[in-house]
Amino acid sequence: MINETRMIDVAGKRTQVLVGGEGPPLLYLHSAGSETFWLPFHQGLAQHFTVYAPAHPGFAESEGLEEIDTIEDLVFHYWDLFDLMGWEKVNIVGASLGGWIAAEFAVRYPEKVDRLVLVGSAGLWVDDAPIADLFASLLSPERLRSMIFHDPNSFLAQLLLPAQPSPEQMLLSFKAMQAAARVGWNPFMHNPKLRRRLYRIKSPTLILWGESDKLIPLAHAHAYHEGIKNSQMVILKQCGHLPMFEKTEEFVKAVVGFLRS
Amino acid sequence: MKVFFFHLMPWPYLPDDFEKRYNSAWIWCPNSLYDPVKGRDLYNSYIDTLAYAEELGFDGVCVNEHHQNAYGLMPSPNLIAAMLTQRTRRVKIAIIGNALPLYNPPIRIAEEWAMLDVISGGRIIAGMVIGGGPEYYSYGVNPTYAREQFREAHDLIIQAWTREGPFSFNGKHYRLRYVNPWPRPLQKPHPPIWIPGVGSLETMDFVAQRRYAYMGIPYFHIDVFKRTFDLFREACEKCGYSADPEQMGWAIPIYVAETDAKAREEFEPSLWYFARKLLKGIDITPPGYTSLKSAAAILQNRGKFMASQETWDDIEKGVYAIVGSPATVRDMIDHYSKELGIGNLLTGCQMGSVSHELARKSMQLFASEVMPYIRSQAEETRE
Repeated sequence: MINETRMIDVAGKRTQVLVGGEGPPLLYLHSAGSETFWLPFHQGLAQHFTVYAPAHPGFAESEGLEEIDTIEDLVFHYWDLFDLMGWEKVNIVGASLGGWIAAEFAVRYPEKVDRLVLVGSAGLWVDDAPIADLFASLLSPERLRSMIFHDPNSFLAQLLLPAQPSPEQMLLSFKAMQAAARVGWNPFMHNPKLRRRLYRIKSPTLILWGESDKLIPLAHAHAYHEGIKNSQMVILKQCGHLPMFEKTEEFVKAVVGFLRS
Repeated sequence: MKVFFFHLMPWPYLPDDFEKRYNSAWIWCPNSLYDPVKGRDLYNSYIDTLAYAEELGFDGVCVNEHHQNAYGLMPSPNLIAAMLTQRTRRVKIAIIGNALPLYNPPIRIAEEWAMLDVISGGRIIAGMVIGGGPEYYSYGVNPTYAREQFREAHDLIIQAWTREGPFSFNGKHYRLRYVNPWPRPLQKPHPPIWIPGVGSLETMDFVAQRRYAYMGIPYFHIDVFKRTFDLFREACEKCGYSADPEQMGWAIPIYVAETDAKAREEFEPSLWYFARKLLKGIDITPPGYTSLKSAAAILQNRGKFMASQETWDDIEKGVYAIVGSPATVRDMIDHYSKELGIGNLLTGCQMGSVSHELARKSMQLFASEVMPYIRSQAEETRE
């Protein structure tokens, strides 16, 4: 299947977008892990949808971070993207930071979201279940690996977070952490107002979580499930924070199954 | 040459196996290790030591700001400076510095420093710093704005001191309908400004353009200082003038004893206490705190930081500290201050666990046997 990386102008911000697949559009909003290049899970989704995977401002080749101060600014950025693409109503899949953006978008523009998938999403404060401090582990790939993966010693975990990252990986992660800190340093990766706004989300919503997510604990899945009326929750066993990597097949199956139901 | 005595007010009672049990003296270092009963004597002795520096003839004393750590127990250097205005009559009190982005609104700094300047009769030196990486974790301040907040806070403070109030300030981070601080500083147009740095060209240009003074951040290899001051001189040339030596300060731990051997014997444990326990974790860099270029430079200089040194030989070769008899210390300061071209020497001996008695003995020897010599040398160079 053909996929390509385009550079487009979103209201003055040069934005990198991966596009691939066939079918109705699906907007994939990536995590702070910066999965901004074509991966097997994109490929899986692209069997049924035209996948649009933009890099948020400041991530990968996307520019315009200087205009992003809060999560609200990212919501406006994606509203601009909707206008540019002429989208009336599309499916949105958001992971972690991207899930937070997706939820913020959906509480403001519920009519623009067809179906919503929140994967290990940031965005909420849950008493006694704080999101782990990923910014404190920057220099320790080992600590990050155990925070993010069910099996930190797996080949995949070592590949994605090697003990000795290449200069390219370091650059990508330097930019990613900076762009994530911009909106997520304080309040830490959440918006105190989001939880009581969740009732505004009207789309059917899938809350997809890895059972052993140590970065954003399972309690956050329950909080989203409680807050969004029309939601269902799927918990993947033996899976950490990033199901699209650790359980690619189950992830694709769950997302595609939900979006096509 | 102006000679300052620099104090960190470190916590000297960390357990011997600290570095095995804890990964940092910062942010996460549990404050159950702090004992307020011991702290009472410690603070008062440290303040006595700073006041003693005036008695010995130092030109100034330096205090600085750090938060939630065992390395330096002056979360508010302005409080210590306030005490020193009452304990001293003559010395400059260099507050190096206040971490501007940690104050909101930073008008508070303009007010407190003006108070101190008026009360001390114009003896305050205003050090403006961004704050260390750990402070952004401990204070919840977003590091991706550190640089722009620093610039904006600087502008606000200078305007508060020099423009007639009330006026409005409408920045990105600080918006004040009325800026009109009472008191205004005694020194005109405002207290001298010192800005520390570790080689960032941006910072040097900022300092050079405003004719402020640039202080090399300590605990690096002598080569790092050399390169830094050379670059600073270039930055001044770009602005159309030659840097005055007093625009440059070299901060360096100095310990003097009767003989070289005795000096090492008395000071070495304290130096390793400092390098292995207190410096542990100081280098954490929060995201966005530096540009990509600076981050790469920091990584490159890692091997030239005191915490990475393993043997006494490393310390001596890199001139991370000057430790010896009066004659040795004299010669080394003479040699390196000429090589660096600096006009301010920021000495300090109490950054680790050295006792008050030894610290004062070293200061006394330095003041009587070393200071007169380096002052006369500096005079000669000037003539």
